[in-house]
Amino acid sequence: MKLRKFLATTILTGAALLTTSISSRAADDTVKVGVLHSLSGTMAISETSLRDVLLFTFDEINKAGGVLGKKIEPVVVDGASNWPLFAEKAKQLLDQDKVAVTFGCWTSVSRKSVLPVFEEKKGLLFYPVQYEGEEMSKNIIYTAEAVNQQATPAVDYELAQGKKKFYLLGSDYVYPQTTNLVLLEYLLSKGVPLENIGGGFKKDESGQIISAGKYTPFGHTDYQQIVAEIKQFAAGGKACVINTLNGDTNVPFFKEYAAAGLTAETCPVVSFSISEDEFRGLPAKQLVGQLGCWTYFQSINSPANKKFTTNFQSWLKNTDVTGIVKEGRVTCSPMVLSYDGVYLWKKAVEKAKSFDVDKVTAALEAGISFDGPGGLVTTQKNHHLTKNVYIGETKANGQFKILKTFNGVVGEPFLKGTFKAKTAK
Amino acid sequence: MPRHRPIFWQLLACILFLSGMTLQGAEPPRAVIAKALITEDAEEQSKLVASLAGNTDPLIRDLLTAWKEGTLFIFEAPAGLAGFTEGEKLAVTLTGEKDGEEKQGALRVDTAEVLKDGEGKAIRLLESDLSAAETDSNLRVAMKGVLDVFALSAADSVSRLKVVTQIGLDQDPGLLAALRAREKIEPDAGVRRAIRQSLAQIELKNEDAAIRIGAVKELGAMGSISSQDALKELVRNATAGDGTEVAATAALKAIATHVKWVNFYGTFFRGLSGGSVLLVVAIGLAITFGLMGVINMAHGELIVVGAYTTYVVQCVFGPGLALSPFGMKIALPGLNATGAALDSYFLVALPLSFLMAAAVGLALERGIIRFLYRRPLESLLATWGVSLVLQQLFRSVFGSNNVQVYSPSWLSGNWTVFDVILGWNRVFVIGFAILIIMGTWAILNKTPLGLLIRAVMQNRAMASCVGVRTERVNMLTFGFGSGLAGLAGAFLSQLGNVGPLLGQDYIVSAFMTVVVGGVGSLAGTVISALGIGVVDQSLQQILLNPVLGKILVLAGIILFLQWRPAGIFVTKSRSLEG
Repeated sequence: MKLRKFLATTILTGAALLTTSISSRAADDTVKVGVLHSLSGTMAISETSLRDVLLFTFDEINKAGGVLGKKIEPVVVDGASNWPLFAEKAKQLLDQDKVAVTFGCWTSVSRKSVLPVFEEKKGLLFYPVQYEGEEMSKNIIYTAEAVNQQATPAVDYELAQGKKKFYLLGSDYVYPQTTNLVLLEYLLSKGVPLENIGGGFKKDESGQIISAGKYTPFGHTDYQQIVAEIKQFAAGGKACVINTLNGDTNVPFFKEYAAAGLTAETCPVVSFSISEDEFRGLPAKQLVGQLGCWTYFQSINSPANKKFTTNFQSWLKNTDVTGIVKEGRVTCSPMVLSYDGVYLWKKAVEKAKSFDVDKVTAALEAGISFDGPGGLVTTQKNHHLTKNVYIGETKANGQFKILKTFNGVVGEPFLKGTFKAKTAK
Repeated sequence: MPRHRPIFWQLLACILFLSGMTLQGAEPPRAVIAKALITEDAEEQSKLVASLAGNTDPLIRDLLTAWKEGTLFIFEAPAGLAGFTEGEKLAVTLTGEKDGEEKQGALRVDTAEVLKDGEGKAIRLLESDLSAAETDSNLRVAMKGVLDVFALSAADSVSRLKVVTQIGLDQDPGLLAALRAREKIEPDAGVRRAIRQSLAQIELKNEDAAIRIGAVKELGAMGSISSQDALKELVRNATAGDGTEVAATAALKAIATHVKWVNFYGTFFRGLSGGSVLLVVAIGLAITFGLMGVINMAHGELIVVGAYTTYVVQCVFGPGLALSPFGMKIALPGLNATGAALDSYFLVALPLSFLMAAAVGLALERGIIRFLYRRPLESLLATWGVSLVLQQLFRSVFGSNNVQVYSPSWLSGNWTVFDVILGWNRVFVIGFAILIIMGTWAILNKTPLGLLIRAVMQNRAMASCVGVRTERVNMLTFGFGSGLAGLAGAFLSQLGNVGPLLGQDYIVSAFMTVVVGGVGSLAGTVISALGIGVVDQSLQQILLNPVLGKILVLAGIILFLQWRPAGIFVTKSRSLEG
């Protein structure tokens, strides 16, 4: 009896929910906006933060009157860290929900998976996470950091610090592999000889380098050998490590690094995948003094950032969306680039006076600016952003002290082969 | 205004007097640094700082360090500030408590006096309104030259060693005299060796070919790994005929040979420690699976129980812990220990993680496994289910993010012997593995309980006939094996991540180790763990690829098991045959 009663209630509630969502769909004064992130699976730890900040941004905009007088109605779907599912969900957003724009994806593979869907169905996607470049779809706006907005400025900074040797280390997938190949070309063009670039190379039959640097799989735990190699590489001084390790493999790496007596003073590590948000699961003490490079740090001292962080925290406190972690939350670059994306879209819609994807894209291509928490961002014709790049030093509390700012760096997706190698002096 | 005039004049006179003093003879370091701080010309700035070299006033160290760290500020004098025209720059430090508006009092860098306005009232400033004095790389080099001399006489040998090594790498001939002076009074042999190496490295830049070659030869004889880059540069830039190139090439060859030996011993050590990790992880399984024949898929989760126990103990020693599993609020108060007391948390965590995991293991045995002793397939499925339940339980209690376990300071340093890095955590894991093996062996072979365990494992029916309570022995044995898994978890928390899926990373290697060693043989487990560890590290060293090495090890294991399906040591036991 009890079970039957339970089933009946569930079905009834489900039906009720369904009808309410259908009825709300009929509303005329709203515009539907898709949110496509992994809310379960391995990527959920990172991507739920983006969902949270997007919902916050929609609320903020709705409170201020919405977009073209219409309130934003978010349609949140779960990509579940499953790349083919991302494409399914994108289809659903475009076909069934007919969303005006979608904000989503974290991993490059999920973006590659939805790209054909957005192109075929003429949708619009805003992509907010640092990536390897070599891509430019007319249906995607890359608010993300391109390689020249993260990796090359970091190398510039290290060169200015007098570093002469660079050890490349990363997780084994497309972003680190491509980034390191670009960096290899860049370093050679800056006169760093090949023998001063560590981690090893793989060559094809013709002798062309097809992979530069040392790679470990996800979940690798034994970094003894690699750290011993870095120790010898850095023994002569003036060396640094360029780290594109992803997620929690950083923990055994940095523990081993510290145990081998390597420090930020003797051989600094510049990491591209560790932001404030990732620090929630990392031993910050072992990373003190190591460097990060992003287009936003929570520690930026500007009125726009102060407003953003305080409003986000108070939104977190008051929100009743289920599953949102309220304690110990921080803001980081992918979150801010999501936030910037929503405002850029809003401004483009208002400029185009239409939600039509072609018109909005044209407005974005013409150049839309927004003074975001990380400084002024401007859309470019190539669907990337001009923005500020910051180099920061890790502090014990998991925040960054900003060491250097590069203002107004133009995002360039296609970098392979653009740096001509100068002969080493 | 007029009634304040006397104070104003007094102040002015005082300042004039002070500045007059500084004009006579050598300027005091304070004044030099203050002057450097407000100088616009970067070259002049570096020159002023460099002029302080050799001066041993500790004040210089403090001020320069503060400058480097960005706690010296440039303040633009407001109208009416005594001795300054409006807008003139002066260097200040902020001191004292922040008041309600976050403002602090200010000290002048040049005189160490409190900064007062025209009315004699202390000026209070807001940090964010001031610009911190900046440094560029030239300036930092100049500062380093000055600061290095201070560091040479640091009290602890570790920081002395650090600065000596760095001086050698920088090859700054300006510090030769300071190094030589230090060599004479240096008590620590390791630092003395480093000084000799650094002296030789600096001499590589000497104009005189004979001195240069002497230095090259000394570095070659020392097997100085850190000199390789400098020597290579020397080979590249050598002018023919003076013999430097030949000597440097020979030295590089000598160093390369030295590096080969370092890598050989290093690989051996890393293999031992890698094998010890495997051993610590597998030893519990060697008992529950090897001796008892229970395929316990939840063994990995017992490891995680140990790791999370360590985390909880650490939090209790530190600031406390607040958990909210299933909507309940559990708050554990912290002891707020610091320093050595906080570091000792690990010693408490070790026995506790054994006990916690043993308790979970006992519950598992009583609740599920005892009904399935003769049905290996069902016990495999049931324990796999348990492992999924436990994983979800960890997520609900501790969250799906990894938690941070802090390594005590006595586990995060290293010894460097013959240029091989012996990390304390790695040395500890080797020692720990030896202790566990000896303990387990002693319990199995030297105690009454061990006798009963062996009897039951060899022939359960017969043991039961002669009055052994086999049920009880099973329970205790399983609890003991589970406790060992907990110990492994405590240890793994020092090496890597602690998260709900930690157990999954190790369960396969644990089974592999036990199977290769020979099910039921403790000695086999030891040999197979160390063997797999050393082979894995050697392949990594040879192939320079961490993934390929692992694959080859696995392929090797498959081939080995084709050849010897029962593992290295074949145990003849009736219970396993049945």
